[in-house]
Parts: sequence; structure tokens; C-alpha cells
Amino acid sequence: MVEVEGSDSYLIRPNHQHKFKPTIVKEYIHEILRERLSGVLYDPESVPELTRSLAEAVKDKVKNAGFDKYKLIVQVIIGEQRGQGVKMSSKCLWDADTDNYAADVFMNESLFCLVAVFGSYYY
Amino acid sequence: MQSEKKLTKEDTWRPAELRRHIREKDSSERYSRHREDTDRTRREGESMERRHRDPDREKLKEKKLRHGDTGDRYAEQKKDRSYDRRSEKDRERRGEEERKKQVGDARNYRETILDKEYFREREKQKDRHKYKEKDREKVRERHSEDWERRREDREKERRREEREKEHRRERRRHDESEVRRDQTEKLHREPGDRQHRGTHDDRRRDKDIQEAKRRSEQSEDRDKKQEHRRNNEERERRHKERRHHDEKDERESKERREFKKTDDEVRNSHGNRKQTEREKQKERHKKEEEGAERRHKDRGHSEVAKEDLERDHGEKRSSRKSQSDKSLRHEKMEEETKVEKAELAEEEYEEDFEDYEEDFEDLDESAEETEDEVHDGKEEQTAQPSKEIESIRRAMAEENERAGTAQSRRSIDREEEEHVSKGSERNQSKISRHGKFIDFVAAKQREVSQKAAAKQKKRGAELLHLIDLDFSLTCSLLDIPPVSEYEMYIKSFGNANTKQAYVQCNEDNTDRDVQTEEIEICEKWTQHPPEFSGACGDPNFSQEAQDKTRDELILDSQQLMSFLDSASQVMVVLLEEDQAERKSLRKLTTQTDSLSFSDGSLQLNTTLPFLSGRQISLVHFSQGQKHTMLSVHMPKVQASTPHLDSCSMVCVWNIWEPSRPQKILIYEAEIQCCCFSPGKSTLVFAGTQVGSVVLWDLRENSSNHYKLKIGEDEWTFRHPTFSTDAVMSSPGHASPVASVEVIPSFVAGGLRAEVPLLAFEEGLSFQLASLDESGMLNIWVVVELPKGNEAGSLTDLGLRPGGKVKLLHSSSLLTVQRPLLKVAGTARPFQTMLLKYHPTDSNQFFIGTNLGLVSHGTSHGLKTPPQFYGFQEVEERTVDINSIHFSPFRPNLFLVGCADGSIRLHTVNHEQPVAEWKNSTAGEPVISAQWAQTRPAIFSVLDAASNLHIWDMMKDDAQPLITKKMSTDGVTAMAVFGDSGHQNTYSGIALAHESGKIELHYFTPTLTVLNPTEEKKLESIMTEAF
Repeated sequence: MVEVEGSDSYLIRPNHQHKFKPTIVKEYIHEILRERLSGVLYDPESVPELTRSLAEAVKDKVKNAGFDKYKLIVQVIIGEQRGQGVKMSSKCLWDADTDNYAADVFMNESLFCLVAVFGSYYY
Repeated sequence: MQSEKKLTKEDTWRPAELRRHIREKDSSERYSRHREDTDRTRREGESMERRHRDPDREKLKEKKLRHGDTGDRYAEQKKDRSYDRRSEKDRERRGEEERKKQVGDARNYRETILDKEYFREREKQKDRHKYKEKDREKVRERHSEDWERRREDREKERRREEREKEHRRERRRHDESEVRRDQTEKLHREPGDRQHRGTHDDRRRDKDIQEAKRRSEQSEDRDKKQEHRRNNEERERRHKERRHHDEKDERESKERREFKKTDDEVRNSHGNRKQTEREKQKERHKKEEEGAERRHKDRGHSEVAKEDLERDHGEKRSSRKSQSDKSLRHEKMEEETKVEKAELAEEEYEEDFEDYEEDFEDLDESAEETEDEVHDGKEEQTAQPSKEIESIRRAMAEENERAGTAQSRRSIDREEEEHVSKGSERNQSKISRHGKFIDFVAAKQREVSQKAAAKQKKRGAELLHLIDLDFSLTCSLLDIPPVSEYEMYIKSFGNANTKQAYVQCNEDNTDRDVQTEEIEICEKWTQHPPEFSGACGDPNFSQEAQDKTRDELILDSQQLMSFLDSASQVMVVLLEEDQAERKSLRKLTTQTDSLSFSDGSLQLNTTLPFLSGRQISLVHFSQGQKHTMLSVHMPKVQASTPHLDSCSMVCVWNIWEPSRPQKILIYEAEIQCCCFSPGKSTLVFAGTQVGSVVLWDLRENSSNHYKLKIGEDEWTFRHPTFSTDAVMSSPGHASPVASVEVIPSFVAGGLRAEVPLLAFEEGLSFQLASLDESGMLNIWVVVELPKGNEAGSLTDLGLRPGGKVKLLHSSSLLTVQRPLLKVAGTARPFQTMLLKYHPTDSNQFFIGTNLGLVSHGTSHGLKTPPQFYGFQEVEERTVDINSIHFSPFRPNLFLVGCADGSIRLHTVNHEQPVAEWKNSTAGEPVISAQWAQTRPAIFSVLDAASNLHIWDMMKDDAQPLITKKMSTDGVTAMAVFGDSGHQNTYSGIALAHESGKIELHYFTPTLTVLNPTEEKKLESIMTEAF
């Protein structure tokens, strides 16, 4: 948060190269999920920790991607695959010009994992 | 922060300090002497040590000397407050030298020895101070008195180093007081360590120190007890002053000097002269106090020294363990001895700085001071040889770092925040005592936070104008549909490597069906105005029409056959006519002479082998088809071929086709009479001599009949279809059948020809009457069966197999009446000879008898008069009546020909004849008398002498017009034919000769053409008669 003190000029749009790019983020998520979750069985004991660590990993990765002045929210959801139907959606109040999100889903025999990263521009 | 505290404390603590000063002054005066001595000695030592001793050791020594020093200095400062630093120092030096001299060289010596020992140790530990140490060694050896000058030189050198160190110092600027205190405590302990190392001297010195501490402590305790309210600030103030003391002392050593220099610089930059002046004053006050304390300590130091030593050691260690504890302890002064000891140690440490006072005159409350202090402590630490110090240093470093980071964070109000954070605990205690001050801090804090918040708020408000927030569309993050039951089932129960699949085989075997109909196209043309062939047409029409006709022909083959049948007959007739005409024309020309009445004749070909030798008994024309004729041939007298010759034959002719008969009918018995069916001549009825009535169906196929090939031609001989011979039981005829007659189907009036024709076509529904000679009249119903039975009928034995027409006996009646029988009985057996029905009334029939009478009867109902038709004469004659013939023009008029040669003309209504011509035939029996068909006034009569008489009543009603004698060939039978049709009116007479020839003579036109007056003439004759 660089703030120009005393003056009333704000940087309200990110540079193009610093803009939140969902495709890149999605790739990151995809890679991480593949690395971390392939072959993993659902275990209610370990899943809370797994979600936290996944969130951290994703957050770190995205932080290094160079989205300046972006606040990141990483949401990780892991659920067991039992044949049930699942529906999830999100709704955001934000500045659609700058803010965006990326989500990716990983699924294997025993679990599904959804990671959503919301990038909100901090003016 | 420390400095600040001092500042604040100054205000608060000054009166208390003063009080203390006053008290301590008393005591200090007492001990001033002694103090001065010690100070001096120490100063001396120090002065030397500054050159050749390690800072650690110097500190040690300083601690020992502090008490005295301070006191001295206070005194000195009081004396020359206005002096500048130089002069003061000089003075001090002088004072120290004096002390040295006084207190004892021995001690000094001892210290030098100690110094040497320490130096050795130091050398090992500290490399960076090597060159300093060398200097020091030199100095030590030299013991030069002009050390001050050198010191200044060295200081200059050092300055550079110090600047480097300043960086470190700056980092530690914010070291808390605890840290400093720690350091001081460590310093305190150092003497103990040294003692342990085993030098009695050291211990001794330590003891002194401890005693001094003890004393000062006691005195302090006392003070505290007296002034319970004295707070941390006071102590801090003292701390600071003491630190200044120490610094001063240290300044005497090399490091101190360096510090001082840097401090000077700082001070210069700050240029807070006035403040420093004030400081100095305060410090002087302090020094006085401390001087007093020391004196006090000195007093009782000998007694308590040892105990205190040990205790101190323990306590200091414990205190070292937790700095926070110590700080706490500092705050709570009135508490246990431990705390007191810690405080004491602190104070002692602070006292060490007293010497520094002058040097730090210009130092204000700014952070530099604390910096220096920290640095001092550090310097002292580094001088310490022990590992513990090392560890402490590490801990310090950590804390410094922490403090450093904390500081960096709060760059804005560093001082304040430091104040809060460092002295938080202390502040709390202060808060309890001094609410006002804390309120101020909190308010400041609040102000700051409010300011920050306002700023943020303003920023947010400004940004909100620039940015549009909107609700993003709901983005679906995850959508997993539920697994269907079947999938779940397969997943859990299905085999691993199998899959279900459905295949439909023979897919290409499909049925295809198109249901569109062919479009019909035809061409038509039209022309307006119409030209040539018409207004419109169709090029394909002719062809289509042919096709259609062909189709129709095929379809109506039966109709075609019938058409061909009739057409072929017509054609044959025409051909034969043509041929016959040519022949007859020649004949006619030759015969005209012989037959005056004949306009021409033709001869039926009766020269057939089976007909030869047969007499013709009867010739008969059909009423319906007037060109159809039949001739009855009698069986041969001399039978050559028994089978055929014994049979009578009936030939059916078409007069237009004279070459051969159409049908040949045979019957075993002699045929008496014969007739055609009404209308179309399809049936032939005959009555035989044996009393049977037979019929032939001319429609029967020739293949079913007996065929005989005679010569080149094949002839078909038809046996009767039905014969009543077999019906013996039924009422038949017991005597030969005299006559068969078709009963007209209508009762009276109406059309004569058409109705029976129609009835016949619709089905055979007419009655037949047969009369035998005994007078028995049988009435038969002619029935046509819908289908013939080839195998023959079981019930109708008389029916020929395959025959379809039969006779059913309807009724029978005896026509002979009693009077007649009686009459007949007298003469000869009564015979009925002839039967005729009234042409227009089927109810009336006329029977010719052998009594010359015609009996009139009815089939049913009342009899109609007259009963008989007789002669004009009343007498009865037994004369056979051979012929009865009704006029075709006047149904009520009929001719009767009798065997005696008389001819009578009767009307139905009268018994008497209209006219009677006797002897017209010259007594010859009349065989046949018949009306002409085309003229009502003409009739012809044939008599047994073969004379043919033709009467024309128009010309002559008394005798025949023409009488022709057939002399050459006798005539056996005669029949009149003719058609009064519209186009071709013809009439003639058929003559059957004895030779078997049949000649057809056409009447001449005069006999043929109708005269319109004839009927009137006939009428007049009838009316004339009655």
C-alpha cells in the first residue's frame, strides 16, 4: 500500500502487467492441486490442516506472481466424494474493472477440492 | 526515553532530591576526608589505567572508587560550577593525584598487578582492542604524567572507530533501562568473579565495594522509608546522574574518552548549552547525595562486608535471570531485601557514572544519552572476560533488535511510543500515582489515532467517487451433479472390466415405402373459332378409345358373343339372300307363268339326306319372329336306318337362310302338332301321337346333343329337353295330342306382341295348353330352372340331363260337353280336332270338333256365349273342322275350314257365321285356311287336291280370286307368312310338297300392299251378315 501522502492523487487502476490474471492464477492452482492432491484419500482428520496448507501454498504462489496492490483471498474447500451433488457459487461486490477471481477444481476418486482466489485491488 | 523521563522527573523529584541532598551532605561531610582519599587514589590509578587497562577492569576499579569520587566531585563541582570542562578535569586530576598520594601507593600497586593479570586474560578474548592494549601497556610502563595530552591524541584516533561504533549505539539507543541496569549488575558481579578467581586482593576490594554498596543501600533505604513517595523518576534521575558519573570515570579510561568525544560532537550539533548547564547542576546535586551515601557506606563497611558480598552474589545472579523482574523490583522499592539489593546495585552502577557528569554536561534528554549509556554498558561487557557476559550480550542484542524494529515501526511519535512501550509497567505504577500524566499520554494517543482514522476516512470518501462498485454476476464455482442410481450400482456392484453396451444388429435391413401416386398427364387442345374437326381435341384420344373398346370387349365377352351370334346370323342371312335372289330371279322368271300370284319364290334346302323320303306334315311360322319357321317331317315309311328314320323330325328354319335348317329336332314318336314359344322363338313345343307333350330348348349347346356326320357336314340332332312321357302317374294325355297352344299371358286387350316377349325374356312364365283327341285339355306351366343339372334330375324324370326348362302340370279340364257326347254317341266318337285361343283373351278358347262345330269355352269363370259356332243351316253334319284361324287384323274374326270343303267366317260373338262359302273347293276337304298377314281381306285356302285358292274379298267375296292347281307335286301343307313391318313389307306362302320340298312364294305387291279401304269392307261384310 503505497500511499502518496498529502496529495489527493490515487492509483485506481493497476498496470496491465500487474493486473490480476485469472488464467495464470488458475494454472497455479491447478499445478498445486495436482502436486498435492493426486492420489490423496479423503481423511477427515487431516483435511483441515490440508486446506490450510493448500491455502498458504496458493497464496504464496500467487503473491509472487506480481499482482501489485492486490489483496488476495484464498478459499479452499475439500469435500468427500460420495456421489452427492454439490453446488457452490460466489457473489462479490467489487470493482469489476480491477478485481477478479480464479477458481479451479480438482477431483479424484475420494474427494473434490475447490480453490478460489479472489483478487481485490487496493487503491 | 530515558532522557525524557529524566526531564519529567526533574520537575517532580527535585524537592525530594534536595532534601536528600541536604541529609546526605551531612554524612558526606563526615566521610569527605576518607572519600577524597580513595577517590584520589583511584583517580590516580585510573589515570594510569586509562592508558594500559582494559575497560572492564577500569570499571571495576571505578566502582570501588566511585563513592569517593562522587563525593569529591560534588564538592569540586560545587566549588567551580562555572568552570569549563577542561578546568574541571584538571582539577580532578589534581585531586586524584592528591588522593593517590594520600591513600596509598600500596593499593595503587596492587591494582597495577591486578591490571596486569586481567590484561593477560583480556588479550585472549579481545582482538579488536589489541592496539589499544598495546598503548595501554606502554602507558602503564611509562606512567607518564602528561597522559592527558596523549589521551587527547588517542581520542582523536578513536573518534574514527567510535563513529563506526556509533552505528551500533544508535541501534541500541532505545535500549531500555533494564538493559542498562543489567549491564550494571553484570558489572557488579564482575568483582565477585574476580574474587573467585582467587585473588585475595580482589576479594578485599570487592568487600569494600560491597560494604560501600551496603552502606549506600542502607542509606538509600532509609531515605526511601522516609520518603515513600519518591518514585521511579527520582531513581531514574539518579540513575542517569550516576551514569554520568560512570561515564566520567570511563572517560578517564580510553573508551570513556572516546565516548565523550562522540558525545561532545553530538552535543555540539545539538547545541543545547543551557540544558546541559541545567543538567550539570542536577548532577552536581546528585553527586553530593551520592557522596553522602558513600560516606555512609564506608562507615559500616567493615562489619557487613562479608555477608553482603555473598548475598549480593546470589541476588545479582537471580536478578540477572529476569530483567523484567528486576524492573519490577525497581518499581517496588519498599519490598524485600532482594529488590533492595537490586536497586542498590543499580544505584551503585549509577554512581559509577557520576564521574561522567561533567563530560555529559551538554547532553540533553535526547536519545543520544541513552545511546551512550548503552554503549558504555556494552563496552564494559566486552571488557568482561566471562562467557556469561557473552550470553548476556547476545540477549541484549536480541532485545535491541526487537526494540529497533519496534522503533522503526513507529517513526512518527517515537519518543512517546517508546515511552509507552518501555515503561509500560512502570507507567502503570506511575499511573496509580500520577493520573494526570497518563491522561496526557492517552489523549495524545487518541489524538493520533483519530487523525489517522480521519485521514483514512477522507481517503475512502475520495476514492469512492472514482470507483464504481458493482455486484459481479454469480459465478458458479463448482457444480457436481449427483451420481445416478444406475451409475452408483455399476460402480459398486458391476464387474471391474466389463461394460454394458447395447447393439442393434441388422440395421441396414430397413423397409422403405414410398406412397406417392403417379401423376396423370394428358394433352388437350382447343381452337377458337372452331376449325375443321372441332373446337377441341385430344391427340391421344383415338388410341385411348381403342384401348377402352378393347377393354370393354374383353370385359363384355358375353355381350360380344351374343352380338356375334345375332350379327353372324344376319350376315349369313344377307349372304344367302344375295345368293338366293340371284338364283330365284332366274327361277322366278321361269315360274311366273306357273304361279300367277307369286312374285318370286325360294326353296328351302330340304334335300338333306336325313330328310329325304319324309313327308312334311306341318309347316308353322312363329308369331314373334316372323322369319322363323318350322317344318315337321314324318318318320320314313321305309326305315333304312332304324334309329333315325323311325323318328319324326322337326326342322327350324330361318326363311332368310334357306340353305340349311338352323336346328334339327327329333322325337321317337310321330308329332301331331307343334308350336313356338311366344315372343322369341327359343322353345318348341310338340304334341305327339303317343299322348306326350315334349319341348325343345333351342338355346341348349349343340355339344350336348347327338351329332351325326353326314357327308361333309356335321348335324346335330336334338332330343327333347322335357317330355311328359315319364310322368305317367300325373294327369297326362291318354290319347294322341291333337293340338298344343300357348296361352296368351294377357287376359284381354293390350299389346299382343311385346308383352309376351318381355315376359319370356324375364323368365319363362307362360302357360301351355294341350288338347288330346278325347277332349282332355291340360294346362301346363313352363318353368325355367335357374341351373341345369348335368347328372339329371331325380324328381323330374322327363327332364333331360342338363335341361333347364320343364313343364309343370297346372290343371286339366274336359272340354267335351254332354249334349255333344250324346250327339257324338249317336254318330261316331266325338273328337276334338283343333284348339285355338282367342288371340287377345286367354280365357276363351275355341275347339274344333269332328261335328263341324267349333266349341267355345273358357278356362275359368262363366262361360261366354255362344257355346258353338255352327253352320248356317240348322242341321248337323259330322264334318271335321280342319282349320281355325283368327284374323291378324280383327281378333274377333276367324276362318273355319271344314272337311267338306266349306269355308266359314265367324265372329266370336255370333253362333252363326258371317259368311259361308260352300263348294268353293269343289267339294275337296279344306286342309288349311289362313288369313294373309299384310292384307285383312285376303286369305288363302289349300284343299286336299293340292289346289290353292286365294280369296280377295275386296274384289270378289263370292269366289276365290286365284285358284292354282299344284298338279305336278302335291302340296301337303301350307303356311302363310308375312310381315307388315314398316320398311320391308312382305308376305308369302310356304308350300310343302309331297316330294318333301318346301317352297316359299312371295305374293305379288297387289296381294301384299294394304288397301286402306279393306278393313271397312271387312266391317261392312260383318255388319251385313247380321
